[in-house]
Amino acid sequence: MDAPASIIGAYRRTIITAGVVLVALVLSFVPLWPVADCVSANSSECLVTVRVHVWSGLYDFFQWLETTPMGVIGKTWGAAFALVEAVHLLGMALLGGSVFVSDARILGLGFKDVPCQEILDKAHTVFFWGLVTAISTGIFMACGVAGKIYYLPVYWFKMLALITGILFVYFIKRPMLRRGVDNLSPLTARLLAVSSIMVWVTVAATGRWIGFAG
Amino acid sequence: MNELLYNFAVWLDSHELGTRLHESYYMYNWVESTHVLTLMLCLGMLFLIDLRMVGFAFTNIPASAMARRLNTPMLIGFTIMVVTGIALFYAVPVRSTQSIWFRIKLILLIAAAVNAFLFHKNMVNATGDWDTQVRAPSNLRLGATLSLVFWALIVICGRFIAYDWFDCEYTEPGIMQVLSGCIPGQTIF
Repeated sequence: MDAPASIIGAYRRTIITAGVVLVALVLSFVPLWPVADCVSANSSECLVTVRVHVWSGLYDFFQWLETTPMGVIGKTWGAAFALVEAVHLLGMALLGGSVFVSDARILGLGFKDVPCQEILDKAHTVFFWGLVTAISTGIFMACGVAGKIYYLPVYWFKMLALITGILFVYFIKRPMLRRGVDNLSPLTARLLAVSSIMVWVTVAATGRWIGFAG
Repeated sequence: MNELLYNFAVWLDSHELGTRLHESYYMYNWVESTHVLTLMLCLGMLFLIDLRMVGFAFTNIPASAMARRLNTPMLIGFTIMVVTGIALFYAVPVRSTQSIWFRIKLILLIAAAVNAFLFHKNMVNATGDWDTQVRAPSNLRLGATLSLVFWALIVICGRFIAYDWFDCEYTEPGIMQVLSGCIPGQTIF
């Protein structure tokens, strides 16, 4: 393994991740955006968080989603919506299966006689198609209920978990594993596997929660 | 036959435990969410085995190894799904018994079980070096394809149970009523 060029090099990804999380927290909780046409003696009342500003700006987009063909079909025919939702579950099964197999291999729980990279590469193909299926059916469903989910906090939590999961897979898990599981410390490998399972179960659970809310 | 099933379901409905589960604030939701999320484990493993048999995934791993190794987690998931499924049925017995989608789902589950049994028998008796080939022998491929189709339909039927399109109170007397198990003049639960 090459020695890092500088002390920061070895921790480049950690620093970027920490920076992204910090920026996300600041944009979510610190009032920074000035509200238009705001008159107040107390200047801090005229500031909203960037998150609220972005959310307000998405209102028209979500209203438009319900007018698209997917939205109209989803709203008119409950059977179509339910069928797409069932396909969403099938994509979820593929995604969950590939995540369990790859994480079990990282944890040394299965297929120990097969080189880790082979399992991970093959599992990733299934993961990709499961994700594509889940996202495309998810977009269809979102169009049908856009007006409702816009106001549901749990929907936005799911989107956050989904983005976290995708970024985690493509910018943390895969790059780190490309160097080979044996080049990682056992603790790091275990953390990768457990985090992967946790994030995708969270996506699924918040998704189910949407059904219970609103 | 429908009378028998209806009477059995009404008797189940008289149980306090089932009613408490159905009317619970959170417990029913937990049981149902577990049932749905566990399909990531159960059907995830099963679909990977079936996709290997038809040559779409994990082609570098011997097919029988896929089936053997993923079988145990699949059965663990399957057990959880059966237990939660029985709990869900127990909570809402009459409507489930008289749901055409639930009935189709049960028939498909039996078909999937028969298919799995035959598939296992064929896999044990398969000769030659099919294990390392990309695609398994045609009888195993057929079993795997049927398995994929059956389980996809099972998931779809499971989702449709929640919808009331063919509920007894809305169905006109006729073949649909008979297939759903509706009894004319029954109490609507």
